[in-house]
Amino acid sequence: MIQVENLSYTYEGDEIPALRGINIEIPRGIHIGLIGPNGCGKTTFVRHLNGLLPTTIGDVRVEGLSTKNPADLYRIRQLVGMVFQNPDNQIVGMTVEEDVAFGPGNLALPSEEIARRVREALAQVGLESFGNKAPHALSNGEKQLVCMAGVLAMKPRYIILDEPTAYLDPSGRKMVLDVVRKLHTQGITIIHITHHMDEIVGADRVVVMDRGRIILSEAPKAVFSKVALLKDVGLDVPEVTELMWQLQRMGNPVRTDVLTLEEACRELNACLSHAKPPSRQGF
Amino acid sequence: MVHLGQYIPRSSIIHGLDPRVKLAAAVVLSIMILKGDTLTQCWITAFLLILVPLSRLNLCHIRAAFRPMLFFLGLLFFVHLLFTAGTPIPPFPPWPVTITHEGLHTGAFVIWQFSLLILSASILTMSTSPGELISGIERFLRPLKRMGVPSHDLAMMISMAMRFVPTILDELNRIREAQTARGACFKNGPILRRMKATASLLIPLIQSIVRRADALAMAMESRGYNRGPRTYLRELRMDRKDYLALLAFTFAMGLELGGHYVLRHGFA
Repeated sequence: MIQVENLSYTYEGDEIPALRGINIEIPRGIHIGLIGPNGCGKTTFVRHLNGLLPTTIGDVRVEGLSTKNPADLYRIRQLVGMVFQNPDNQIVGMTVEEDVAFGPGNLALPSEEIARRVREALAQVGLESFGNKAPHALSNGEKQLVCMAGVLAMKPRYIILDEPTAYLDPSGRKMVLDVVRKLHTQGITIIHITHHMDEIVGADRVVVMDRGRIILSEAPKAVFSKVALLKDVGLDVPEVTELMWQLQRMGNPVRTDVLTLEEACRELNACLSHAKPPSRQGF
Repeated sequence: MVHLGQYIPRSSIIHGLDPRVKLAAAVVLSIMILKGDTLTQCWITAFLLILVPLSRLNLCHIRAAFRPMLFFLGLLFFVHLLFTAGTPIPPFPPWPVTITHEGLHTGAFVIWQFSLLILSASILTMSTSPGELISGIERFLRPLKRMGVPSHDLAMMISMAMRFVPTILDELNRIREAQTARGACFKNGPILRRMKATASLLIPLIQSIVRRADALAMAMESRGYNRGPRTYLRELRMDRKDYLALLAFTFAMGLELGGHYVLRHGFA
């Protein structure tokens, strides 16, 4: 469990705090989607979770270890892995294998153990045969998978994904999201920042941040049905939800807590069959 | 297209050796090449010519290694040819410069020396992957740690510099295209304008590199870098073939030094 209590943070030289009193408990095994407009403090917040930013006001505890204690920091970084936006700025190795070995090497593990972890991590992201390739020969999606393997080789319990699909094309996005889903089913806690709402409709919880505060923390359905509130802070809802919302505003008796295409079809079908036959033809 | 010193993946005896053996041999060879005389050169030439097929390299690879150095070699030869004092060779057609016997001799000797240096360095880098080479250097520097030489960090720096060469070249191309699209011209026009245009490449490039470095530092820190001692996927280990190779090399070079001594001073 990660416990965050009254976390506030102000960047040096800034007057307005980036975070103002964040309180949240992140239990093991959960998949959290973290959304919010640009500059709302999402990235600042998650960088506190593995001690990349020092906790100044408030407390962050990972499995009971405080990020304020420098002696625990390396254990915390092993427990909480982080994948960033641009895969090119994360890969340090000259080959895929060497890059994945970077983290375990920092843990000073013996070579045999490193080799085993590299093999396992590459298998987890489906890049078994990529070990000897040079990073620049890969697609962006594949590079991001290498970064994820690099994190997995540390055997983390939590993985923070900070807009991992921002630099990817649709096929790369799909590769990464498939792996994220798979890791979640394996019991790894996922904290996923994104601007694509449809990436997190399957999450257990969606946390919405605005101006350094958490303004909502509920199940995706509950969050995305608050269309007006989300639009007010400058966020979008998944496209199908938007469609249902517009239909409702036009006076159609449809529900708006609909997140996937299948649900939308079912809901529209139900709505149409309730309507009288003549109006159905008119529709 | 093979270029200067590029790694050529093969499975050969030389490829399979510990990089430290190869590095040490290359250093010893370089010293001998620079300090030795004609006899040493002959011996080392023969030795390197045996190493080429042993590392399963062919003439194409060797040619690729020499091609970019040809101009430099030629220059070196002519400088020595024209600027060495000594007995002049009677010029056949009346040339405006005097060419001396000594100049011809030194020129030939110097390009021979440099060719040997290029050849031995090429065999090293063509038969050793950059990763291996770096861990070899790192391993040699490790004893200097006590004197405050951060060998791990140095190795990390070298390998990252190499890792980012293609990335940064891509970036440079992107910036060049972007500036060309805005009307910058890099190919022709007055020199001053072209220099200005080049500045319009360099400044965004440096800016992007700095930003990249910042993000990279963050990513490395979150993966636990800087904790202290590190380990590697492939720790270097000397086994029998490495010791045998080292022995064979020492023997070959010892033979040369011994032979040299005998020729100079006789058996007494």
